[in-house]
Amino acid sequence: MSLRSPLEGIGVVEGPAGLRLSDLTLAHREGVRGAGAREWLLSQGHALQDAPSQIVASGELGLVMSLSHREFWLLQPDSEASTGRPASEAVAAGVWPFYCQHSHAWLQLAGEPRAEIMAKLCGVDLSEAAFPLGSVAQTQVARVSVIIAAHQSENDHPVFSMFVDQSLARYLWEAIEDAMGEWLE
Amino acid sequence: MTERLPLPYGSRIKRDAPVGARFDGRELPALEGDTVASALVASGHWVISRSFKYHRPRGPLTMAGHDANTLVQTPAAPNRLADELPITDYPETSAQNISGSLMADRNAVIDWFGRFLPVGFYYRAFYKPFGVWHWWERMIRKAAGLGVANLSATPRYQDKQYLFCDVTVVGAGPAGLSAALKAAEGGASVLLIDEQPELGGSLTYHRFAIDNAPVQSEAETLIANVASHPRIRVLTHALCNGWFTDHYLPVIQGDRLFKVRAKSCVLATGSSEQHVVFRNNDLPGVVLCSALERLLSHYAVSPQGKLVVLAGNDQAWLTALTAAEAGLSVGAVVDLRDAPDDAALLAEANARGMTVHTGATVYTAQRDAESQSLCGVDIHRIDARGEVGELTAQHDCAVLAMSAGFMPAYQLACQAGAKLDYDDDRAVFTLSGLPAGLFLAGSVNSTHSLDVVLADGRNAARAALRYIDMTADEDESAACAAQVNHPWPIFPHPKGREFVDFDEDLQIKDIVNATRLGYRDVQLVKRYSTVGMGPSQGRHAALLTARLVAKATERTVSETGVTTARPPVKPEALGHLAGRRFHPHRHTAIADRHDAEGAQWMPAGLWGRPAFYGEPHHKQRCVAEEVTAVRTGVGVIDVSTLGGIELRGPDAAEFMNRFYTSGFLKQSVGRTRYAVLVSEQGVVIDDGVAARLAEDHFYVTATTGGVDRVYREMLRWNAQWRLSLDIANVTAAFSAINIAGPNSRAVLEALGCSIDLSADAFPYLGCREGDVAGVPARLMRVGFVGELGYELHVPSLFAAALWDAVTKAGAQWHIKPFGVEAQRLLRLEKGHIILGQDTDGMTHPGEVGLDWAMNRSKPDFVGRRSVDILAGSVPIRQLVGFSLDLTAPKPLEGHLVIKDGGIVGNVTSCEISPTLNRIIGLAYAHPDDASPGDRIAIRTEGGVLVQARVEALPFYDPDNARQAL
Repeated sequence: MSLRSPLEGIGVVEGPAGLRLSDLTLAHREGVRGAGAREWLLSQGHALQDAPSQIVASGELGLVMSLSHREFWLLQPDSEASTGRPASEAVAAGVWPFYCQHSHAWLQLAGEPRAEIMAKLCGVDLSEAAFPLGSVAQTQVARVSVIIAAHQSENDHPVFSMFVDQSLARYLWEAIEDAMGEWLE
Repeated sequence: MTERLPLPYGSRIKRDAPVGARFDGRELPALEGDTVASALVASGHWVISRSFKYHRPRGPLTMAGHDANTLVQTPAAPNRLADELPITDYPETSAQNISGSLMADRNAVIDWFGRFLPVGFYYRAFYKPFGVWHWWERMIRKAAGLGVANLSATPRYQDKQYLFCDVTVVGAGPAGLSAALKAAEGGASVLLIDEQPELGGSLTYHRFAIDNAPVQSEAETLIANVASHPRIRVLTHALCNGWFTDHYLPVIQGDRLFKVRAKSCVLATGSSEQHVVFRNNDLPGVVLCSALERLLSHYAVSPQGKLVVLAGNDQAWLTALTAAEAGLSVGAVVDLRDAPDDAALLAEANARGMTVHTGATVYTAQRDAESQSLCGVDIHRIDARGEVGELTAQHDCAVLAMSAGFMPAYQLACQAGAKLDYDDDRAVFTLSGLPAGLFLAGSVNSTHSLDVVLADGRNAARAALRYIDMTADEDESAACAAQVNHPWPIFPHPKGREFVDFDEDLQIKDIVNATRLGYRDVQLVKRYSTVGMGPSQGRHAALLTARLVAKATERTVSETGVTTARPPVKPEALGHLAGRRFHPHRHTAIADRHDAEGAQWMPAGLWGRPAFYGEPHHKQRCVAEEVTAVRTGVGVIDVSTLGGIELRGPDAAEFMNRFYTSGFLKQSVGRTRYAVLVSEQGVVIDDGVAARLAEDHFYVTATTGGVDRVYREMLRWNAQWRLSLDIANVTAAFSAINIAGPNSRAVLEALGCSIDLSADAFPYLGCREGDVAGVPARLMRVGFVGELGYELHVPSLFAAALWDAVTKAGAQWHIKPFGVEAQRLLRLEKGHIILGQDTDGMTHPGEVGLDWAMNRSKPDFVGRRSVDILAGSVPIRQLVGFSLDLTAPKPLEGHLVIKDGGIVGNVTSCEISPTLNRIIGLAYAHPDDASPGDRIAIRTEGGVLVQARVEALPFYDPDNARQAL
């Protein structure tokens, strides 16, 4: 049975200066949460920062995004999502899988004016000076809750990955596309 | 159009770009870069508007968008300032607030009766005899309106954007430029804001010295350095319209409202030039010196006719020199003082052959009947403060340029909490008491000599840098001794018409009389007289009012003060505040499938849910068909909006047992249980189904609108209980569909299901995990609609595929999608309540028949004590089922239940049941009337009382045989 992104059929939005809004919802990601999540990830060979709200590259394992001291998402933009049953049993004592593959859509915004675009939707300063690569913000974008992560894309371009409740994906996409308008003219 | 001055005059205009514009239906020659006002003056038309109260002709006063004299109508909106409207953007404008034409306004007759319309007359008239106000109100509203709102105008796209910086500098005049440059050179990111279209402020039009060439050269260098600095972002044509805590600044530029977040802020907002108060000082052609300088420098407009300059300071003399150099005929320079401070100015004026009157004032301005503009001035000797002696001269003139001094543009600073103090020696207000991180520079800081202004700007930047923990060098001296304000430029005339506030047509006597009537506080004077309440917001009236009130009440000007400054600084469009509309809306993963089926949508919180499928005008038939499909065949509904919460861990059962009212410790794995949540006050606040998937794993549904609250409450309680479990809101992660009806099992079997679906293996209220049509699913046997049914919860990215498979597999049983309307009717037939619809903020379990779900054998649950107290009290209402014949008026939700003439309850649900062929419903009734067979009186539309019969619940399938198939 195939998976379907809530943004299926929308395509990508592209403009000058590398501006690009794309849908990575069907890329692989999984989450773990719980008191023992951090230690378990370290035991699995993942690189982690001490402080939460950061995203780091973990070699071939992809990206590790920490949302708190006890919740982490593993992101693999180059891999396809699993079509199997999402695990629900504890992977270790006090470590529970979280269904971020299905709960959140994954939007990615690349291009020079990305921080300025987001400034039309979000009250957090996302300029590189204030929000350098590796930063994660759990904030409001266009009045809905969004996780924003600044990191290098697979092509080594700085991008914002944004995770939003999948039921709001289309709304957020339209809001961002609208905000991009003046750079697309 | 008159000839424009040659270069270098006209910095804003393009001489080779004519614009075909019209004002009030007449051709208006203009050039690109003109404003509507500059084009009008260039064409010799000083009259632009009519005054608010007396309908006196008015022309531009400031040429900076700082006065209400230039309010005009554009096609889209009224009350736009002609001296800031680019003619290219607004080629069609007209006068407003007139009856007839601008030059022949019938309402000008009001000016003749002005003595009968004293300030505050509307507070003392119009209310006697009783009831007459309603007649007057219509008249006043008709007379008071300014302009016409175009209700059919297409709204423009207006949005908002955040801007972040280390230092924001408001005002790009000399102080602002030097502050911005210094801050940027110190390493700060700087945002420089100015409402004018170019950098420079007064540097672009004002003469700072007799020989101004060195100043111009220095100004050009400064502007270029700022414009090219990589750490300075410049916003011109941008209005900073308020100051809010922590340097949060709304800045309007075009159709965008910037929300600026600055770490520190420098206000270099400058000062407002002040006028002299004499009879007819409002005539078109009477302008501030800076307005004349702007006309010359920015627009190369050299007004026709002679010029008289009325000076209260040396700056006005410099204006006279500038005008003379531009070719204007300067008829006279009249100085309120005995001599200019700088004797060189007098010598220069004499050398240029100007007539000079010192110790004198313009006492009366004369009006030309045809042009309704200035045609001459009477000059009188000043004998004492505010008192004039004999007429000393009369001059014909078309323009009078005046300057009585400057008032700091205090609005933003005062919004931030600054205090204004009056310096008697210099006759100026100064600002003090600024909040941390906010600094002043330039003339808003009462510095006026250019060198000092520039130094003051740099000092402010240094202070800002230090405030944000960046390094800065030593401050430099920035003391200013310049005397720019005349202490009393107010000359009452026996015939009045000496205006203090042009916006509201307020004269000297209006302010003084307000104090005599007992309104001695300047705040009360403002409210009684409306001084400072017009679009100018007291820029030109505050200082004069303070002086007049101080004198009238025998207090100092400092003691009198000025009225409170509040945002916005200038009028702003509601569209700027609204910005782009953000209306979040949630769609289930199957939404497009519903669209394809012809769903009619209804809101459920942020969600959109199919109400029913089919044409809107066939709603009742469509709903009935959907109900029938479920009762007789099979239907499918998208219930993805249901909340979902996952509880995993060794203490999951213990948590459930404490949180919900039922017992969960002994709930078997593979079974579901109805879960009721009550508040600590004993009020029913949510319900759902708890599925035990493993010993340490519960999956609980919650209501669509209540799940966030339930999740929050769970986290809150476990913060206290510290039980070992993980609580996750998985609402978005799982989508759900409910297949219901006698054929639902057959459809599931046809789909291919890894679970034994037989009634024995998977009984009613059971839950299982398995694969359905290849999709990993959690299945629950539920009976909300009263039929054999399966709720399938699947990871959301699978939802669309599952829906497609279900509809395809169910085709042979004519499976029909059903919406919320049918679901509500089906559950009503089954007697199930909907939280939020059949309950309210006071409903306790006993009132809605949920006592059975209160497990009193366990030690405790949230709200237990309150539930017990309520259960022990005398009941006042009970939710009952009722029925009516189809011939009776159908009650609506909310209709009242009446007993003995009093209200005892209300209808919560009511539908026409196609299954039972009756009207059925739920209503709160008096407990004495809650037994089957009792009658309750319901007041329906039009007050018609119907007697409904109380029925036992459920209405349908009382033995629950169908859902347990």
